[in-house]
Amino acid sequence: MSDSLLIIEDNEQNMYLMHFLLEKKGFSVIEADNGREGIEKALRFKPGAILLDIQLPEMDGYAVARELKEHPELSGVPIIAVTSYAMVGDRERILAAGATGYIEKPINPDTFVEEIIRYLSTHNRSNQEGYA
Amino acid sequence: MSHELRTPLNSIIGFTGILLQELAGPLNEEQRKQLGMVQNSSRHLLALINDVLDISKIEAGQLTLSPSSFELRHSIEKMIQLVSPLAEKKRIKMRMTVSEEVTDITSDQRRIEQVILNLLNNAVKFTEEGHVEISCRTEDDHYILLVSDTGIGIRPEDIPKLFQPFHQLDSGLARKQEGTGLGLSICKKLIEMMGGTIGVESQLGRGSVFTVRVPRQSGEVS
Repeated sequence: MSDSLLIIEDNEQNMYLMHFLLEKKGFSVIEADNGREGIEKALRFKPGAILLDIQLPEMDGYAVARELKEHPELSGVPIIAVTSYAMVGDRERILAAGATGYIEKPINPDTFVEEIIRYLSTHNRSNQEGYA
Repeated sequence: MSHELRTPLNSIIGFTGILLQELAGPLNEEQRKQLGMVQNSSRHLLALINDVLDISKIEAGQLTLSPSSFELRHSIEKMIQLVSPLAEKKRIKMRMTVSEEVTDITSDQRRIEQVILNLLNNAVKFTEEGHVEISCRTEDDHYILLVSDTGIGIRPEDIPKLFQPFHQLDSGLARKQEGTGLGLSICKKLIEMMGGTIGVESQLGRGSVFTVRVPRQSGEVS
C-alpha cells in the first residue's frame, strides 16, 4: 500500500483542484484523464486509493470501477467516487459497481482532504478487522 | 443538464476556497473580503441551480424518491449541526426535542433532510432574537415534525403564497434575505410525494411554526 492517490478525472480544472489540495496535505498524486489510462496506472502504481469521476468519456466510472474490481491485486485499494450526480440511486449504483466511498461535487475545499483521510482510515480499519 | 451546470461552479467554489484557505499564498484583507463575496455568490448560485433543477424535475414528473430505512433522530441532529454556525453568529438558541418513540423511518433520506434543513434555515434566517426549536413525535403511523421560531412571523394574507414557487415574501427586513424563493414550494412537493403534509401557523412579529406530517413508512426499500 502506498501513500499515492490516483485521480481519474477528465475535467482539467477539477483535476487541478483535487491534485492541488491533496498535494498540499502531503499526498503524492497520479493523474489519469480517462478510464482506460486510469486502470493501466492503477495496475502499474498500485496507489493507496483511487478517486474516480463517474462521468468520463467513452468508459464511464461504473465500468472503470467494475473492471478495477476484477483485478485481485487491486482488491485492497479503496475506490472513492467523486461526482456531481446528486441522485441517491446513482450513489447506490456506484457502490454496487465496487466503489467504497462517495464524495459529492462540488467538493468542499475545507473538508475534502479530511474526508479522503477518513475514508482511508475506516477502510484500513475494517480491513484489519477482517484479518483478526 | 445538471452536470453541465454544476461542473463550472465546482471549479469556482473550489478555487475560491483554496485561495481563502491561503493554500496558494497569503491574502491581504481586501482580497480576503472580495473572495469571500465570490464565495457567497457562488454558493448562492449553486443553491439556486439546485432548486431550479429540483422544481423542474418535480414539475416534469421526473423526480423519483429513493426510500431507505434510517434513524430520523440522527438526520435531525445532522441538520441542526449545519445551521448551528449561523444560529451562533446571530446568538439564537437552537433547541431539539425528539421523543423516545421516534426511531427509524423508511423514506428518502436525502429529501427528508433537505426539507428539515430548509425549515431550520428559514427559521434561523428570519429570527433576530430568541430561539429556534425542532421537535419530533409520533402520531399513529406518522411522524410529526415541528419547526418553530421566535422570528418576524408571516402576515395571514401571505400564508397562501408561501408555498408557491418564486415567492419570497416581502419580509420587511432591511435587506432581502438571500434565498431562492423556491425552498418551501420544493418542500411541499417533496412531502406530498411522500404522502405527507406541510403547513404553517404564524403570528406577525411573534414567530412561526411549520408542521410536517410524514408517514413512518413511505415506499418500498429498493
